Amino acid sequence: MIDYKKKLATLSIEIKSIFSGHPIAIAGLIGFIVFVLTALLAPWIAPQNPYDLMILDIMDGLLPPLSKLGNGTTSWLGTDALGRDILSAVMYGLRLSLFVAFVAVSIGTTIGVFLGLLAATKGGWVESVIMRAVDLKVSFPGILLALMLLAVFGTGVDKIIYALIIGVWASKARLTRSSALSEMQKEYIDAAKISGIPNWRIMLKFLLPNSIAPVLVMVPMALSGAIGAEATLSFLGVGVPITEPSLGLLIANGNDYLLSGKWWISIFPGVVLVSLVLCINVVADRIREHNNPYLKSMDKQ
Amino acid sequence: MNNIPLLKINNLTVTYPLNSEGSDVLKALDNISLNVNSGQIIGIVGESGAGKSTIGKAILGLLDPPAKIVSGEITLTDTAMIGLSESQYESFRGNQIGYIYQNPMTALNPVLKIGEQVIEAILANTAMTGKEAYNYAIQLLERADVSFAKDRLQKYPHQLSGGLCQRIVFAIAIAAKPKLIIADEPTTALDVTVQSSVLQTLIKLSQEEDIAIILITHDIGVVSETCDYVYVLRNGKHIEQGETVQVLEKPTQEYTRSLMASVPLIEKRLHRFALPNEDKMEGMTSHLGYLEEERKENLYLNKTILKVTNISKIFYTSSTLFKRKEAFKAVKNVSFSVNRGETVGIVGESGSGKSTIGRMILGLEDITEGSIIYNGRDLKSITSPEDRLAHCLSIQCIFQDPYSSLNPRMTAGENITYGLKVHKLIDSKNAKSLAQDLMTLVGLQRHDADKLPHAFSGGERQRIGIARALGYRPDFIFCDEPTSALDVSVQANLLNLLKDLQEQFSLTLLFVSHDLAVIRQMCDQVIVMKDGEALENGSNDSIFEHPKHLYTKSLLKAMPKFKGIAKQVGFNDSK
Repeated sequence: MIDYKKKLATLSIEIKSIFSGHPIAIAGLIGFIVFVLTALLAPWIAPQNPYDLMILDIMDGLLPPLSKLGNGTTSWLGTDALGRDILSAVMYGLRLSLFVAFVAVSIGTTIGVFLGLLAATKGGWVESVIMRAVDLKVSFPGILLALMLLAVFGTGVDKIIYALIIGVWASKARLTRSSALSEMQKEYIDAAKISGIPNWRIMLKFLLPNSIAPVLVMVPMALSGAIGAEATLSFLGVGVPITEPSLGLLIANGNDYLLSGKWWISIFPGVVLVSLVLCINVVADRIREHNNPYLKSMDKQ
Repeated sequence: MNNIPLLKINNLTVTYPLNSEGSDVLKALDNISLNVNSGQIIGIVGESGAGKSTIGKAILGLLDPPAKIVSGEITLTDTAMIGLSESQYESFRGNQIGYIYQNPMTALNPVLKIGEQVIEAILANTAMTGKEAYNYAIQLLERADVSFAKDRLQKYPHQLSGGLCQRIVFAIAIAAKPKLIIADEPTTALDVTVQSSVLQTLIKLSQEEDIAIILITHDIGVVSETCDYVYVLRNGKHIEQGETVQVLEKPTQEYTRSLMASVPLIEKRLHRFALPNEDKMEGMTSHLGYLEEERKENLYLNKTILKVTNISKIFYTSSTLFKRKEAFKAVKNVSFSVNRGETVGIVGESGSGKSTIGRMILGLEDITEGSIIYNGRDLKSITSPEDRLAHCLSIQCIFQDPYSSLNPRMTAGENITYGLKVHKLIDSKNAKSLAQDLMTLVGLQRHDADKLPHAFSGGERQRIGIARALGYRPDFIFCDEPTSALDVSVQANLLNLLKDLQEQFSLTLLFVSHDLAVIRQMCDQVIVMKDGEALENGSNDSIFEHPKHLYTKSLLKAMPKFKGIAKQVGFNDSK
């Protein structure tokens, strides 16, 4: 039986030891939590539903921040050409960006970890095939690969998730394999083998929990990378559909108006995107540093 | 020898803070005093955690923070060494005090030639230059008993053996004619035949150059061979000091006595180690039934349980684009047989192929040539999964490194019973109580079953490993250097435990070790291996008392002699 209360307590101590004494990392974590909550609660706290084309009024188009809309409410961050409230659009865009990134990173990491473990335990041609596939993937610039895929398969939220998964799995597979290989040198793996424990159990119950730590440390990094990649693809017009704008698409929307003084359409989603990625990176850096004492001592010197 | 000691340590206390406030501290050294006269070799002996290395580091000002010297003084001739600035320490290190590390391979820089490293030390610490320094380097190497000194200067560390590398470290240490050398476990990483000659060099240097040496070691044998005077430490506290012979053979303190009783002797075989306060096993009840029920019926069917005939093992380096694969013969044509209930020892230095034989028996490595017949069946002929499993479970292994032989993410109990659950040998309801029973059987607490491996010491982890092996009700246990990572008193306890369990469950043991004394105490039959070949095979007494092969003789000669204190505490002699 697993004592969940105890596990939770140790987890909270762990989190405390990672963040205590690092105000910037704490700020990053708080920022990230605020962004996630905003994204989750967007349908309830956003002033309007930007996906609902019926309530949009073209007469409200291109209003600067703090102006009154036709229905009497205030648009804090202004509106875009269609009369969409930028604040609501940013909230919904954040929701979509985070959703896409979370799904892509979790699926991509799972696939990567599984393939890495498989390569490490099977060896031989299985390992060769998997690792050469990793090499192949890594030799392409990620964004080019995603562009090619989206050009072939068309756009859409699901398609962009596939494209991002393909960007994520390879580095995780490589990392898992190397950490699993060093774990396999240890004697408890031999002990399991001579006790006739099946290979798949050794993989899941012995190798996985002991070799996953370095991969988990990479996950926040991958998350911010995926958010950035999704924004780039959407900005280029091959990402999410135009009716459900993500942060990248919102920036692209405002791009045309930037030079005519309508700065708010692009700037606000841009600021949110930058601060979201920054928050995640600050937290990720701290976690990485915490798990690598060598970096810590370098820091002090 | 003059009356003023070269190095004087007075009431030295070193602490490590245990929490961030520093209110709770661990005393790594507690009020230690020590004197070293010039030309004297003193030994600092103790088990892990005794604070031996801390003394050496404190003298050189090399304590890693957060450790700090709380009180006491260290005086070298007439200079107070505590509170010196880093640059003042620099002028002592190398110049006045040399330091010799445990592992010579990591102490030398792998990308520089030996010559460059020796000459660098000469240039840094003496006024010599150019040709003069080169000649002096050759001289130093010769003084450290390095043959072909001129040629060796052109070599890189990886081209030389561990013993030669350690001699080069000696040469570097004496370059500046220091008055004191601190040698921290200088021979622990070396094979026994190399160890004795390296120690001879150390003694010679001390006498010829009039250098005082502080020898830090856990090995009582090494102390008895080299040191004039010994300090015994335990958990940072001073236990006993005196002339080597006095302390080793007539110890006055309880702890020293039990430490000496734990040292395996090579002179004669004892029934078991006489340990003053050995923990008695209590509460063994239900597990006995589990371990004894369904014992295989052919238990006494045939006398020979394992027959190894002409086995060889060839490893290939993997071929690359630029290099064809190369063959390396790890085991060459080895034959032996093991009788039921017997303990057979394989002894040899590193690289002799002794572990590879065990791995082939366990099925972890393929057999290149020859056959292994276990319980009347050829290992190669076992193909069906059921037979394979039965075979697997009846041969178990106790591993060398207690820190990597348990799954760190499973509790001790899960580690013990996981395989049993997988094979449905027990149901998961009974698993926990069985794990607890097995833990008491190996001398651990019942409630320890819920702890993760990192909460245990090395010796305790090794016990968990034994419990795990016993859970499968094996007939045969392969022990791969089970005590080489442990302190000597822990080793004695563990060896006693193995003997008891062997008797209780009529186990057959194949015992691999580099330590002749351990083999002497444990085994009925001994096989001596070198470079993959079995050189000699015979009964315990015949090998140790009338060795035939030259290599066996040299091994026995190289073993540090420690006669023990058998008379004083009254050993149970061999039955």
